[in-house]
Amino acid sequence: MDAKKRILVIDDDEDFRDSVTTILEHEGYVVAAATSGREGLEQIERVRPDLVVLDIMMDDPSEGYGVNQAIKYQPRYQQFQDVPILMVSSIEETPDERFAWASEVAMIRPDRYLTKPLDVPSFLATVRQLARA
Amino acid sequence: MAESRTDERVVVIDDDNAMRLSCRQILGRMGLAVETYSDGAQGLAGVAREKPGLVVVDLKMPGLSGLEVLCRIHEIDPSIVVVVITGYATIDTAIEAMKAGAYDFLPKPFAPDQLRVIVSRALERRRLAAESRRLEVEREMLKRRFVSFVSHQLKSPLAAIHQYLDLIDRLGDAPEVAAKRRDWIRRSLARSVEMRRLIDDWLTLARIEGDSLVGCRDSIDIAPLLARIVDGERERAALVDVTLTSTAGEGPLPVPGDASCLHVLFENLIDNAVKYNRPGGRVDVAAALENGEVVVEVRDSGEGIPAEALPLLFQEFFRARREPGGARGNGLGLAICRRIATELGGTIGAESTVGEGSLFRVRLPAATDDAVAAPVASAEEAR
Repeated sequence: MDAKKRILVIDDDEDFRDSVTTILEHEGYVVAAATSGREGLEQIERVRPDLVVLDIMMDDPSEGYGVNQAIKYQPRYQQFQDVPILMVSSIEETPDERFAWASEVAMIRPDRYLTKPLDVPSFLATVRQLARA
Repeated sequence: MAESRTDERVVVIDDDNAMRLSCRQILGRMGLAVETYSDGAQGLAGVAREKPGLVVVDLKMPGLSGLEVLCRIHEIDPSIVVVVITGYATIDTAIEAMKAGAYDFLPKPFAPDQLRVIVSRALERRRLAAESRRLEVEREMLKRRFVSFVSHQLKSPLAAIHQYLDLIDRLGDAPEVAAKRRDWIRRSLARSVEMRRLIDDWLTLARIEGDSLVGCRDSIDIAPLLARIVDGERERAALVDVTLTSTAGEGPLPVPGDASCLHVLFENLIDNAVKYNRPGGRVDVAAALENGEVVVEVRDSGEGIPAEALPLLFQEFFRARREPGGARGNGLGLAICRRIATELGGTIGAESTVGEGSLFRVRLPAATDDAVAAPVASAEEAR
């Protein structure tokens, strides 16, 4: 059982944070939430999550990509570079489309991508799979 | 040696040795890198290898004809510009070649200048075509990003509502959901209002752009219009402890325009001034006739707008400020204001000092006695 795995949710949409937190806690995860990319990066060091759920478009239209890259690349977050990142957004352009030009640079892509609104069963299945690793 | 750019590379295909030599000489002196081939098959292999910007090909050669070579070149790369060389006897073939996609033809014998002119023109055309393709791609990308952004703004509240309802449906009996159910319903309603506003504002923008809202150019007196808006906002201002005052200049302030448009413009500005204020703050609305223009100023004592945000303030979906409650507008209000002001031949601008407040100023051409004034063209103040 994956109970007590820690998940960090980074999203500027209060309602999304609230509903996702509720459903993850209901499944037995420990959830921390951050309202911006910057706050997310501050929290990651404190929370030491097993999985990050990350929104793409926050204050900046590609803020989530910046956070993704910081976690994967910046020396400061080196200890978290293997933490899986599940990106979520209601944006039209998927990460695959956005980074089609950079197919060889797998690192700048998130581990998984799901569109909002989340389909709860497949969201939970994805979370289980990613948080287990 | 550095590899030459595609645009500077030319391939000449001609079975006539003297012609190949003279082409090489003339084009070489133009600073172009020239490769020559004596028949179509070798020439095509050369084109595939060299990726030239321009090919000069003789129409009449043994083996592959110039026309066939032309078609095959464009199979390799349709952006390669092809000039055909032809004898007088084959003028008809030259025309056929033009129809098949050749850029121009050069009848034999030709003077060095003729070749130089035609090659310069052909390379220029290729450069322009590449430039316009690049711009087209850029425009397309911007459009796609914009559409993607708009749809994101529309889908976000919908996604939030959907998710709340889904959770209530799935886990309605779980105590942690039951406890939140009321709050979630309330917030879903708020998000649906947010979404409706966004759709309304978006439609307003589209209608202004379609010119139907500002098509009508009645002479409207702004003074009573402002008084009505201020009266309407006063109660709301009092609720957040903001004092709203209005001083209009003497006499009527007529502008040619559409009453509902002008209402939207000034209501947005005054509403913002109240919203982005502080308890105990003030909003002062002033209007006066100045040199043939009606100038309306809305001054607030709010938190102000950072200097770097000012140039972007009137752009669609730009949001510089959070409302005191942390809520945010949809980023269309000021874009609508600017579009209305511009459509009416006027300007809108903002000044601000962080910590002290902001001043929004609208200038509209005043209506003359002839009822409708010619729009005054003046540089946009907001810049």
